[in-house]
Amino acid sequence: MVDESFFIDIDCVQEKKHGQNTFGDCFMSKRYPDEGRVIAVLSDGLGSGIKANILANMTATMILRFIAAGHDLTKATEIIMETLPICQVRKISYSTFSVIDCDDSGLVKIVEEGNPDFVHMRNGEVVEHEPEIRTSKKFTNRRMHLYKFKLEPEDRLIFCSDGVTQSGLGTEQYHLGWRREGLIDFLRDELKTDKTVSSRHLARLIVKEAQLKEPGRLAKDDISAAVLYFRKPRKLLVFTGPPYHAERDEEYAAIFNDFPGKKAICGGTTANLLARCLNKTITTERPRPGALPACSHMEGVDLVTEGILTLTKTLEYLNEGGRIPDDPAGKLMELLLDSDCIDFMVGTRLNEAHYDPLLPVQLEIRKNVVKQLEKILSERYIKKVHLQFI
Amino acid sequence: MENSAKKIEIEICLGTTCFVMGASKLQELETLIPPKYRSLVEVKANTCMDLCKNATYMKAPFVKIDGELITEANVEKVLNVLERKING
Repeated sequence: MVDESFFIDIDCVQEKKHGQNTFGDCFMSKRYPDEGRVIAVLSDGLGSGIKANILANMTATMILRFIAAGHDLTKATEIIMETLPICQVRKISYSTFSVIDCDDSGLVKIVEEGNPDFVHMRNGEVVEHEPEIRTSKKFTNRRMHLYKFKLEPEDRLIFCSDGVTQSGLGTEQYHLGWRREGLIDFLRDELKTDKTVSSRHLARLIVKEAQLKEPGRLAKDDISAAVLYFRKPRKLLVFTGPPYHAERDEEYAAIFNDFPGKKAICGGTTANLLARCLNKTITTERPRPGALPACSHMEGVDLVTEGILTLTKTLEYLNEGGRIPDDPAGKLMELLLDSDCIDFMVGTRLNEAHYDPLLPVQLEIRKNVVKQLEKILSERYIKKVHLQFI
Repeated sequence: MENSAKKIEIEICLGTTCFVMGASKLQELETLIPPKYRSLVEVKANTCMDLCKNATYMKAPFVKIDGELITEANVEKVLNVLERKING
């Protein structure tokens, strides 16, 4: 099982400027599991649409590459600040950025250039920090803000593009936009309501709220919110497939039952087996038309779904990375994304009926689907994933 | 028959094999039952009846109506059996 240290839950939610077909802000993050470190960049490209998208992407990619190559964060960002071109039309720089470098002990370094100041929330209140300021030698209007401090468990850092703080700008209610103060009030309220809200949810709430400020809910600029939450890891155990050695069913059922965290079962046979071993009953939801079999329920288990079709669909959704559909695979995706450390117990006993050539669709082999889930969850969604074949 | 009488229970297996072999279409069974019979019937799902791997059956999808097994079930077959159960 995966280890117990603190976890950096980081995620970003974005909304495009109304009428554009691509994002003008870019968020990228990379986890270095060996060093227990996460680097993330939020960059806002000048303007909107494809041009802004390229500028923001370029900036974020360059910063991540510099750091991956072993360069010091301050040095890397300084080079970017000194070299970012100036737009010939608007005479301002091509992009702004925030960089976050955080490790498992909570030590965090932040560099901001041009983006709204981040917000540090602790116990529902704001902690303000004095930055060290570096002014560009070449461009007097470019200034980097450097911060270095230590996070305490349950602390949060909130970063956003100016699409958030300037939302509603010029409207009667928000002459000057929602502003950082408005965002802080909102964060206070939200964190009072739900102290342990995940980064993804909080980021989504911020983006939604910013959009609400805009007339007709049409975003005037790209809106991005990135949240970092330093906390005890949320654990999830997914049990899928019956164990190869049926005589060990009881043993694995006990491990499942004692798992400290959320639990999901993917597979009808697996659900029956666990219900039998743990002396629990399964209730199924009413059958409804849909592309996937309906979910079932078992006491003490957070989600019970069918196996291979649902897992395959979930993998598809994770690859698409869009909105989460309201079906069993969407529910599983939601559960996976809300967890930090995910254990898969994968039973390898085959169901011969699945390999009948008469089946109208080809069913994937469970082991392969789970391996692909592991890859995308750890690489793209930066989760700690552990597989166990049983 | 009164509403308080025990309802006829239709159980649809929604295990993987059954689902791909046609149970996906049986999920809408409830809406296909003639309105006059609807109050007499309860449609339920089963996570897996464990019949697909059993050599004796091997004819997914499976549906049970009051315990009576229907193999290679489809809407027509299920409604026929249901009709027989109701009208004797």
